[in-house]
Amino acid sequence: MSAFANIFAGGVFHAAVLFLVAAGLQLVFGVQKIVNLACGSFYALGAYFGVTFIGYVHQFGVSEWLLLPALVFSGLLLGFIGPPIERLLRTVYDRDESFQLLLTFALVLMFQDVFKFIWGANPRSLDTGYLIYGTVSTGDFSIPVYNLLVIAAAIAVAVGLGTFLQRTNYGRILRATAENRAMAEALGVDVRHIYATVFTLGAVLGTTAGALVVPTAAASLDMAIEFVIEAFAVVVIGGLGSMRGALAGALIVGLIRALSIVLYPELEVLAIYLIVIAVLIFRPVGLFGRSLA
Amino acid sequence: MALSRRRFLASAAAVSALGVFAPAVAQNKPLRIGILAPRSGIAAAPGLNGIRATQWAVDRYNARGGIGGRKVELVIEDESSPKDTIERFSKLVQQEKVDCVQGIISTGVGLALGPVVEEARALTIYWDGTTQDGVDEKIPNPRYLFRSTDNECEAVMSSLLAIKSWKGKFATVAGINPDYSYGRNNMAAFIAILKRFNIDHKVVTEQWPKVGTMDLTSHVAALKAVKPDLIFSSLLFADLPVFMKQAHAAGLTEGTKLVFPAAGWQHTLMKKEFTPEGMLFGHNTLYFANPEASPLAKEFVAWYETTYNDYPEWEADRAYFAVASYKEAVEKAMAAKGGNWPSQDDVIDALVGFSIESLGGKSGWRKDHIAEQTFVQGFTTHKNKYDFVTLGSFETRYATELQKPPGANFWEWIKTAEFNI
Repeated sequence: MSAFANIFAGGVFHAAVLFLVAAGLQLVFGVQKIVNLACGSFYALGAYFGVTFIGYVHQFGVSEWLLLPALVFSGLLLGFIGPPIERLLRTVYDRDESFQLLLTFALVLMFQDVFKFIWGANPRSLDTGYLIYGTVSTGDFSIPVYNLLVIAAAIAVAVGLGTFLQRTNYGRILRATAENRAMAEALGVDVRHIYATVFTLGAVLGTTAGALVVPTAAASLDMAIEFVIEAFAVVVIGGLGSMRGALAGALIVGLIRALSIVLYPELEVLAIYLIVIAVLIFRPVGLFGRSLA
Repeated sequence: MALSRRRFLASAAAVSALGVFAPAVAQNKPLRIGILAPRSGIAAAPGLNGIRATQWAVDRYNARGGIGGRKVELVIEDESSPKDTIERFSKLVQQEKVDCVQGIISTGVGLALGPVVEEARALTIYWDGTTQDGVDEKIPNPRYLFRSTDNECEAVMSSLLAIKSWKGKFATVAGINPDYSYGRNNMAAFIAILKRFNIDHKVVTEQWPKVGTMDLTSHVAALKAVKPDLIFSSLLFADLPVFMKQAHAAGLTEGTKLVFPAAGWQHTLMKKEFTPEGMLFGHNTLYFANPEASPLAKEFVAWYETTYNDYPEWEADRAYFAVASYKEAVEKAMAAKGGNWPSQDDVIDALVGFSIESLGGKSGWRKDHIAEQTFVQGFTTHKNKYDFVTLGSFETRYATELQKPPGANFWEWIKTAEFNI
C-alpha cells in the first residue's frame, strides 16, 4: 500500500509541474490562438533565475524557510518578459500557424543561447533547501513537504485561474475575446491590452513552475525542449485551449508515467503517446476541447 | 612600369632567398591541432573540461618551445550531431589544414566519424566515447584513428569492488541507468560479472530514464517499492545529482548499497547534503583529490581551481593524454629521423606501444589504437573541506585488468578473464 502511495505521490508531483506549464500554454492558445512553443523556455528561465535569485537573497541573510515564497516571487518577477515577446508575436497573429510555430521555436533556440551566455553550459541547481520543510513519513511512505507545497501551489493556481476566468469581469472579457475577437473589439475591448496581459500571465505560469521545481531538480539547457514535448501531450489529451483539459491531461500523463515506470519501465514514453494517439483517433479535440469548426 | 636592371636583380634575389629558406619556414610554421568537443547540450561541461586541459597543456608546451620546436595553435570546433561534427572534421582537415584532430565524447558521433577519419587519412585521437552497441568492435584495425579506453572499464571495476566489499551482503539488485548503449552495457556487465563470480542475486527492477530526465521521483518510487539491497547506476549527466537528491528525500539511500561507476563526471554537484558516505563512486581516470597524484596532476588541479573556481573531472585527463601522447610521439619520431620533422605515418607508428604519465596516472596506446589508462574508484566520505563528497578509501587499477584484449568479445572475455578481486 505504501509502495502505491509513493508511486501515486510521484505521479501527482510530476502532474502538478506539468499543469503549471500546460496552463500557460492553454491560456495563450485559448485567447490568442497562438501555439507557444516558447512556454518551455519560460519554464527553464524560471528555473535558472530561481537559482540565481535564491543565491542572491541568501547573501542578505534571508531565512531558508522563505525558500518557497522567494521562488514564487522570482517567478513573478520574470513577468516583465511577457509584453515585449507578445509585441514580437503580433507580427504573426494573422498569419499561417506554421509562422507562429517557427517564430516561437526560434525563441526556444534563442533562449537556449541566452541561458548559455548568462549561466554557462553546466546545469545549475540549489544545493540545499529541498528538505528544509522536512518530510512526511508513514511506514514506507515518505514525501518531502516541499513536494506537497508544489502540489498545493498547482491546485491553488488551478482554482485561482478558474475563479478568475469564470467569476470576474476581466475573466469574462478574456473569454469573450477568445470566443470572438472581432466582436469584442467592436464592443470596445482593448484586445491588444488583453493579449499582452494573457501572454504575460502565461509566461508567469511557466517561470513560476520552473522556479518551483528547481529545488527538486536542476536547471539545464535542454529542459525547455524536454518539457514542452510533455506539455503538448497534456494539451492534446486535455484539449487545446481548455483549462480543465490541462488539469486532466497533466494528471493522466503524470500518473500513467509513474505507473508505467513501475510496471513496465521500458514503456514509460510509449504509454503516454499511446494515450495521445488514442485521443487523436477517437476524440481529436481532446477530453475537454471544443471543435473549432 | 618599366623593369629596371636594379629592380630585376633585387626581385631575383628575393625569390632565391625564399627558395633557399622554404623548408625552414615550413618547419617553423605553427603546429595546428583541431579540437572537436561539445560546448553546449548535455555534454558541455565535460567538453569544457577537455578544452581547458588541452589549452593548459598547450600553453605549457608553447612556453617551452612548443612541440618539436613548433608553436602549437588550437582550432576549436563544436562536437554536436554526427552529421554536423563530420562536416566540422572535414573543415578542420581540408580548410584549416590541422596536423592532428583531437576530441569527441559522444559514442554516436565517434562511431559515425571513425570511417570518415580513415577515409580522410587524418590522424585523430578520441578523448572518450568508446562504448559500442553490443560492445562489438565497430571500427576494427584503424590506421589513423586512436580511441579511448572502452567505456565498460568503469562498470567492470565497480563490479569487482562491489563483490570484494559486499559479497554475501546483498541479494536483491536494482538498476537505474541511462537509456542508451552505455547505460545498458554497464548494467549488463555488472550482472554478467555477478554471474561470473556465482553471486546469488535477483534483479528486482531495471529503470531506464532518458538522458537528462529531471523529474525522477517516479523512478525513485519504483526503486523504493522493490526495496533493493543494492542499486547499480551509471547515470552520469545532470540527472545524476537530481536522482541523488530525490532518492535521499525519499529515504532510498539509507541502508542501500550504492554502486555508481560514473558519478565522477558530476563530482562537484554530488553534495554531502544528499550523497551518503560509503557509496561506491567512480572517478574514472582522474580523481582530482588523489593524495598519491603526480606533481603534474597536482599542479593542474591547483591551476584549474584558481582559474575556474572548480575541480576537474576525467575528461580533462582524457584530453591531456591525447595532446601529451601526440607530443611524445612527434618528438620520438623526430629523434628517430635525426631531428627532421616526421611524416604523419611516422607519428602514428611512434604513438603505438609507449606509455606516459597522464594527469590520472600511467596511460598508453595499444597496438589496436585503443588507450590504456589508470582508473580510480572508491567509497565516498564527508570528511573533507568541500561541500561535495570525495573518496575515503579507494583503489587504482590499470586498464589491462578491466578492458577486453584486442579482438576479444567483451561478454566472452568476462566469462574467462582472470579478474583480481
